[in-house]
Amino acid sequence: MLLQSGCVLLRQVATSSVRNFPNCWNCVVRIPEGNHFHFFKRSFTSRSFQTNVFSSVSVKFNRHGQKFAILTNCARFRSTNVKSQDGNWKDRLWYSLAVAIFMTGATILSVPLYRVFCQKSGRGGKAVVGDNEKVESMKPQDRLITVKFNADRSAQMQWDFKPQQREIQVRVGETALAFYNAKNPTDKPIIGISTYTIVPWQAGYYFNKIQCFCFEEQRLNPGEEVEMPVFFYLDPDLLDDPRMDNVDDIVLSYTFFSSKDQEVKYPGQQIMPANAS
Amino acid sequence: MATPGTRVISKAPDKGIFPLDHEGLCKQEMRLYMKCLMTNNRENSKCRSEAKSYLQCRMDNDLMQKEDWKSLGFHEKEDDNVKNTT
Repeated sequence: MLLQSGCVLLRQVATSSVRNFPNCWNCVVRIPEGNHFHFFKRSFTSRSFQTNVFSSVSVKFNRHGQKFAILTNCARFRSTNVKSQDGNWKDRLWYSLAVAIFMTGATILSVPLYRVFCQKSGRGGKAVVGDNEKVESMKPQDRLITVKFNADRSAQMQWDFKPQQREIQVRVGETALAFYNAKNPTDKPIIGISTYTIVPWQAGYYFNKIQCFCFEEQRLNPGEEVEMPVFFYLDPDLLDDPRMDNVDDIVLSYTFFSSKDQEVKYPGQQIMPANAS
Repeated sequence: MATPGTRVISKAPDKGIFPLDHEGLCKQEMRLYMKCLMTNNRENSKCRSEAKSYLQCRMDNDLMQKEDWKSLGFHEKEDDNVKNTT
């Protein structure tokens, strides 16, 4: 509130005169006769300066009949520190942002980090890298295991499917080759897909196939006969596994299923001549 | 991770799938290998060179990706030993 010229600051008003406002000043202005003045009562709170201002005007007459205006201006400052109030929410914002960025980064990096840490120690078969090194570095051991071969087909499958050998004596740590024979005796091309199992189950860990004919669709034309090789080895680590101590026989069992969609024609597919060798 | 005993593990082959030999290009090598197995009491160790020649035939006829023999488990010293015995 502007103080009118001629206003004399008199004194601080006692605190009880205006409630909750400890800093109040009075000012007295003489109003000449015939003049009109407008006075406004104001009470506001200013956020930036953290003050509350209360101002008022009262008009009084002295004993000579002269008009006087008494202006009261009070201000109250907040007791809390201005600076900390302002910066507090900024600090909180930065902190939350940092946490959010950290969490996002951890999510994105979790895949490569997993590969780095768990790959070295994992043995479930999926996390291990460096199978090439395994094959290159392993040496044939003395232990012999008999690998027997079994061939099955589903009821709908019309191929003739059988192993070329009943069994092979395989040294642990040495790669071995085995053959299955499949023939399509019908007059329609048949697409088959195979899967395999290993018995006993604990040997499944150590039976590693380098290359085989499983999991992918194979097509045989009418009258066609093919040999299907399996190239595999037995991991030398099985020598350290106590569950493999009594295992001398392993059965590799292949099962062929016929693929459902028999009408599929591959682009550029030529009809193969019947096997003439 | 489940305990290993509760399920049978099926793993994909390391180097993938053998394409089918529709034309029977390597049938001869296969027959030699089978013959070797029969005569040697089905011992794999004694028929390494025949297995190697079968795989070589496959590679020559584009039925198999060309690989280093070491990565297929065939080491040079061992081959010499086999040649000496057969």
